[in-house]
Amino acid sequence: MTADARSFPIGCHECDLALRVPTSARGVAPRCPRCGAAVHQRKTRSIARCWAFLIAAALCYLPANLYPAMTVVSLGNAQSDTILSGVIYLLSHGLWPLALVVFVASVVVPLAKVVTLVYLLLSVQSCSRWRPADRTRLYRVTEAIGRWSMVDVYVITILVALVSLGNLATIEAEAGAVFFGAVVVLTLLAAEAFDPRLIWDRAELQDG
Amino acid sequence: MAENHDSGGAPPAEAPSAEEGIVDALLVERSGISMVWLVPVVAAVVGAWLAYTALTQRGPAITIRFESAAGLEANKTKIRFKDVEVGKVEAIELSEDLTHVDVHARLTKGSARYLTDRTRFWVVRARLSAGQVSGLGTILSGAYIGIDPSSEGESTENFIGLERPPAFTSDVPGRTFKLRSDTLGSLDLESPVYFRRITVGRVVSYELDPNGDQVTLEVFVRAPHDRRVRENTRFWNASGLDVSMSPEGFEVDSISLASILIGGVAFETPRLPLSAPTANEGTVFPLYANKRASKRPIIGIKVPFLLHFEQSAAGLVVGSPVDFQGIVVGQVSDVSLVFDERLRRPRISVLIDIEPERVRVTDVEILPERRQEIWNAMVAQGLRARLSTHNLLTGQLAVSLDFHVGAAPAKIDWGAEVPEIPTVPSPIEELKAGLGEFMAKLNSLPLEPIGNELEGALSRLNTVLGDLEQTTPALTGALERAEEALSSIEELVAPDSQVSADLKRALREIADGARALRLLAEELEEKPEILIRGRP
Repeated sequence: MTADARSFPIGCHECDLALRVPTSARGVAPRCPRCGAAVHQRKTRSIARCWAFLIAAALCYLPANLYPAMTVVSLGNAQSDTILSGVIYLLSHGLWPLALVVFVASVVVPLAKVVTLVYLLLSVQSCSRWRPADRTRLYRVTEAIGRWSMVDVYVITILVALVSLGNLATIEAEAGAVFFGAVVVLTLLAAEAFDPRLIWDRAELQDG
Repeated sequence: MAENHDSGGAPPAEAPSAEEGIVDALLVERSGISMVWLVPVVAAVVGAWLAYTALTQRGPAITIRFESAAGLEANKTKIRFKDVEVGKVEAIELSEDLTHVDVHARLTKGSARYLTDRTRFWVVRARLSAGQVSGLGTILSGAYIGIDPSSEGESTENFIGLERPPAFTSDVPGRTFKLRSDTLGSLDLESPVYFRRITVGRVVSYELDPNGDQVTLEVFVRAPHDRRVRENTRFWNASGLDVSMSPEGFEVDSISLASILIGGVAFETPRLPLSAPTANEGTVFPLYANKRASKRPIIGIKVPFLLHFEQSAAGLVVGSPVDFQGIVVGQVSDVSLVFDERLRRPRISVLIDIEPERVRVTDVEILPERRQEIWNAMVAQGLRARLSTHNLLTGQLAVSLDFHVGAAPAKIDWGAEVPEIPTVPSPIEELKAGLGEFMAKLNSLPLEPIGNELEGALSRLNTVLGDLEQTTPALTGALERAEEALSSIEELVAPDSQVSADLKRALREIADGARALRLLAEELEEKPEILIRGRP
């Protein structure tokens, strides 16, 4: 256990001073003696932070889909749509490519991210040695596509700003949009908190 | 914790031999629990709060039954009270027997106590009725459901929606009265109710009696005008134009142009008696056909009499007045042709209703038993019925009761089914009779012999005139000669003629002679001696 990779020295993240950092221990935070920056072999409390963000994201996922995301008021006629009812609306009007895009970006991607991260966390915690290279690739994909879910939020933001013609047509953001934004941000944070090196740590640990 | 899995690693001092330039990291103490766990806690709290409010803020679910769901949409159509959203339609479904639609809606929290069996729902759409345009805003925004909440009555969750908006919502103070009429006329829901030509209410409903005899209308009169409706108030149908002819001439009566087009009800309360109490909610009034009809006194007692006429009754109709010396005392209730077995020819039989309440009785109250006695006395005095012209222009007839001195004696047969008042022919009829007699006399004259004689006389006159014509030339010759004679005379007496000059000279000489004679006479008178002696 003492001979694992983490006993090798690392450079300080800010002043590049070569440091020997002990493996993370409860109650202590390693710092660079020269510049004072926090240094770590692995991301601090990576697994706990990832779990916390994931749980919060999952909690927000329900209201994000149950509450209307957007209200279109046109000629005094208000119509509120949740994300799913919007997809159904697009489908019913034959715009299935658009419906597919919205469905994938707004429903599938956040859900897939949460599920993937949960799987990665569980696999790390159970010291799985199963195909670490593929799991790392999975993580990379998750991190890369995560931000695209924000497209919905951007669209709503732009529409609200653009379409404000008083009684003729107004678009208002509703609670669902806020929760949806929270889901996306929280999954981004969760993905960022996860340290893929843990996948390899466990794999090496078992080897050793 | 997961990350503690690898905690308890070797302290820096026990690390493998320190290489050149590699420093040990500083170890700073920090709190045990990561602040990151606040994030899911906050998310959980917010989520729990949302779930709590969603559950507790849910208002009552109701079902409204409508004839059709025109303009209604699930999850879209709102329920509004005074233009404030108080609910939303959640689902619309057909009833099992397909006769109507059930609209399921959810109202806002706290509205449960206004959902009673008196609460009314209706669909607000653009509507043109009774001269009013309403709900124009719904053309753009789509229909919504209006609610007239009422906290009185029994709580319920199932409602039957009105097909038309109510004329007045229950928060408008006022009273509802019932009017009974033979026909609905041109009235309709929301037809206005006028008092002194001010719109004070509306017709809110009408229905046919179960037996189909009459129509009962419900009118709502707004406060404070509802106090004007007293127990003796008269309502009449103010629809359209009321053209009537009276001794003063033509009268055209109408409340307003709008009432001509859409109809209306008007009411008025007679000034007397002043003590008439204010009418209660739901009081039933008769609806008169027009203003004039409403002014007629209410007649309770009607005494029928039969009249028989042997003359044309053209112009006599049911409702024609029966007057006594010009005052209306009743009306004709039936006119028919009856074959009289005894007389072997048909007669006009007229049934009239005398309304004794129209006659004021002085001094004593007349008991019904004494009526016959009075009628007998009047008929004995010569009371007779006859047809008279009521309206020269239209040829309307009326029945006139009057005393006719010298009428043939008659009696009322009180034993008959309907007692009969004896009749006399009308003045025109008398005139006709007189004219007939005159014509008969004229007919009896020997016109033909007179004519013949006249003709002979004329022919004789003709021959005389012919003779005269023959004597004329001789007469002309005599006249010519006479004329000649006259002209010669004229010549003789002309001023410049010889005869006249001679005559004038002769006359002058005669005058000179006379003067000399007179001088001689005077001289002789003075000196008579010259006659003897001669002149000196």
